[in-house]
Order: sequence, then C-alpha cells, then structure tokens
Amino acid sequence: MTVEHVSHWLQPAFNDPVLDAQVSFRAALKALAEPGLVQGMDRALALDGLQPATYALCLAFLDADTPLWLAPRFDTAAIRANLAFHCGCPIVAEREMALFALLDEPELSDLSAFDNGSERYPDQSCTLLIQLEALDGGSLLRWRGPGIRDVRAVNLPLAAAFWQQRSARSAFPRGLDAFFAAGQQVIGLPRSTRVLFNLEEAA
Amino acid sequence: MNGLNPNAASQAAGALESGYNFAYLDEQTKRMIRRGLLKAVAVPGYQVPFGGREMPLPYGWGTGGMQLSAAILGADDVLKVIDQGADDTTNAVSIRRFFARTAGVATTTRTPEATVIQTRHRIPETPLHGEQILVFQVPIPEPLRFIEPSETETRTMHALGDYGVMHVKLYEDIATFGHIATSYAYPVTVDERYVMDPSPIPKFDNPKLHMSPALMLFGAGREKRLYAVPPFTEVVSLDFADHPFAVQRWEENCAFCGSHDSYLDELIVDDAGSKRFVCSDTDYCMQRREPFEPQQEVGQ
Repeated sequence: MTVEHVSHWLQPAFNDPVLDAQVSFRAALKALAEPGLVQGMDRALALDGLQPATYALCLAFLDADTPLWLAPRFDTAAIRANLAFHCGCPIVAEREMALFALLDEPELSDLSAFDNGSERYPDQSCTLLIQLEALDGGSLLRWRGPGIRDVRAVNLPLAAAFWQQRSARSAFPRGLDAFFAAGQQVIGLPRSTRVLFNLEEAA
Repeated sequence: MNGLNPNAASQAAGALESGYNFAYLDEQTKRMIRRGLLKAVAVPGYQVPFGGREMPLPYGWGTGGMQLSAAILGADDVLKVIDQGADDTTNAVSIRRFFARTAGVATTTRTPEATVIQTRHRIPETPLHGEQILVFQVPIPEPLRFIEPSETETRTMHALGDYGVMHVKLYEDIATFGHIATSYAYPVTVDERYVMDPSPIPKFDNPKLHMSPALMLFGAGREKRLYAVPPFTEVVSLDFADHPFAVQRWEENCAFCGSHDSYLDELIVDDAGSKRFVCSDTDYCMQRREPFEPQQEVGQ
C-alpha cells in the first residue's frame, strides 16, 4: 500500500487533541470507577465500523506503547490507517501480545488468549474495548463491588458465554477489565466487579 | 491567622503561561499515567508502577500528586489544594498557582465547590460528593516497607496476600505501649484484599476512606507508584478484636470555631507553654466562623 493510498483513508480525530482526550479519559475513569453507570463519550466522530464512543476510547488510550489486537470486523484499511496515524499504536496478530483489544459481540465467546496479568503485576493485563449495538436490552444482572454503593442492576446485551469467559479468566487480582461502548456511551466493567446471576450467589 | 481566603496576590500572578502543554505534562506522559489510573481503579489498593517524570519541584513536595492531577485535570475543573488541611501554606499555594498558570483552571478553597482536591496528609472535614476526585500526595506508598525493605519480597507478599507481619507490627505497639500507637499512615485493607498505606493522613481520617462517594487517587512521585480507592469501596483499618481501631478525640474545642468534631492542631501560644487548639482544616473552620464574623472576608 503506497503512502497516497493510506492518506486517502485518513479522517480527522479529536477536534482538540488535548482537551478532548482529557474529557474522554475522565468519562472512562468514571465509567470504571462506577461500574455499570452509563457515561457519555461524544468527542469523536464515527470511523468506518467504529462508533464514536469506541473511537474516542482508542484515541484517548492508545499510543506507541500499547499493542492493539483488532477483531476481524474492525481490521479494515480505514481503521488501520487512522489508528496508525492518530495513535501510532502497533497492531498485533497475537492476542497474548495485546495491551488493548478492540472487540465486537461475536468475539466475546473466547477470551482465553488475552493477558490477564500476573499475581505480582496484575496491572499488566489486557483491557478490552467492546463495541455493542446498545448498552441495554439484555438480561438483568446485579453487579456488586467497589464503585457500587449496594447493588446495581445492569442489562448489557451479552450472551452467557461472555460471563463464563470472564469468570474463567478471573482470579483476583488477575483478570480482564472491559469497556462496553455503543453510540456515544460507555459502561465500564473492572475485574473487581462481582456479577450475580441468581440469589444463591449473593454472598 | 490571616490569609485563609484564596491568596489574592498569588492568584492574580497566576496568569496562564505560554510554552507549556495544558497542565504542564506532555500528552504521552498523561496517557501513560491515565492508563495506570485505570488499572489502579480496577485493582483497588494495588500499587501500579508508572514512569514518574521529573517535576519542577523537589521530591517530597507532592510530585506524585501533581502528576496525577495533571493527568486528570480538564478546562472545566475547579482545583483545591490543601497541605495538612490548610489552603494557605507554601505547598498548597505553590501547587494551586502552578496549575492556575499551566492549565488556567479555576481554583478555590471551598471544599464543596472543588472538583479536584489535591491533598497532603488530610481529608477535608466537609463530606465529599460523587463529582469530586481526591488526589493524595504519598511519600512511601508501600505499607510493608518499614518491615521488609526488599521490593521483590513486598511484591510477593502482596501477591500472596501475606500480611501477617503488619499485624505483628501493630501487636508490638500493644506489647510496648499498651495500645496501638500508630497514629498516622495507619494501614488499611481495601475491598478485603490489598493492604494499603492511606498516605500519612492521621488515623482520624481513615473512616472517611470507607464507602466514600468520591474517587480517591494516590500518587508517589519518588517511588513512582500510583494507586486508587474507587467510590463506595470497603476500607477497613487493621486492628484486633480486643484492641479495636479508634480515632483520636480531644477534650478541647477549636479556639476559633468551637468545633468539637474536627481534627485539631495544638498550638503553643506563649513562653509559659499555654496551649490552644485550632481546626487543621482551614476551610471547614472558616465556613463555621463566617456566619458570626462576616467582616472577616472584607478584611482581607
């Protein structure tokens, strides 16, 4: 692919790279600090298959230090060209190498290869950026844990397979942290959140 | 005790500097710190290593807290900085002015009006709310460091949740003094997992960490560690069943506002050693006095 071809795909990113990145980060921080609460994320435009919130998360988090794994749906020339230009993040083919992963719903049935950190360095785990069609409409689950005063009811449209995968990769402090993005909204799900499926698990 | 209001002279001199990025740090550094903060929030109480930068003031003056503040501050934020509870001490005035100059953010001394509060060694008496972030300046982030000097060992101890020595240290207090003599930087357990140093806040402030509605971030510049306590997180001070955790209490009231509930500083007021007690939290004290002394504000 020649330089002319690549530049042909380029689109504007944040209007104000400094302040828009800050606003997007603060929304993401709040999303992760208060799991299950919807936060607005409207500082970026949609890019090819990426919705505004998903693209804003990429622009706020990614740079040359963050290897990114792309789900096949997002592995397009336009997304590669824009992430390379605006973020400069290496795009890796092996999931094990990724610090961030850009996923869509069909990918959630297998999270086995993503790095969930180590007991000594639980922070060196992969962060999942998951784009959904909507942030509600699924079955109602109750979330507990840090950031939630008592219990929070969240109905993300996720298949049971995701929750099985998540708990399979969880051994606190090891685990996977996720952001769910749809349109101009985000919900955070840190590894510290306990998800209750029925009354027996309330303990 | 003048100068409790915003330091008018320094704020006036806080015109926005040109030639610096917004809030001093470059964007790549901010992104690195921000990614660290996300992991710190996801693993409450765990110390995330980060690439601490040199700041234009010495270690020990709040470089860790400042880097965190620089990474989170936005154009709409209102910044409050306190040093041992006071808005008018050198450290607080300097840091407040630094961000007024490099980020152009609004500053305040009023706790309820602030969205970001950087603090050295106190948590404000006024209850915090959910739209606020508290940033602590931390000298030694590792609560086990005085017991185990090796970083490799303490990291293993955290990995295994092996915190027995921490209780031994508190027990030695009881054996020597008859009670737990640790009165500041009192170790806590966060969300039933990590033992954390809450920074050198008096143990009086430890209960304010528990189920706080505000996000709490901790930054250690020299040690290059950051950690966090998300809102509504269980934070329990270590203790024993027969020696339960208790905070300091005073017989006296604040000499200015009469408060009996706040953390009091002891002042020696004459050569005979006479003592007065005043609130350590200057904004709290001022707010309690204002209804009675309206002229105080004009007098500045």
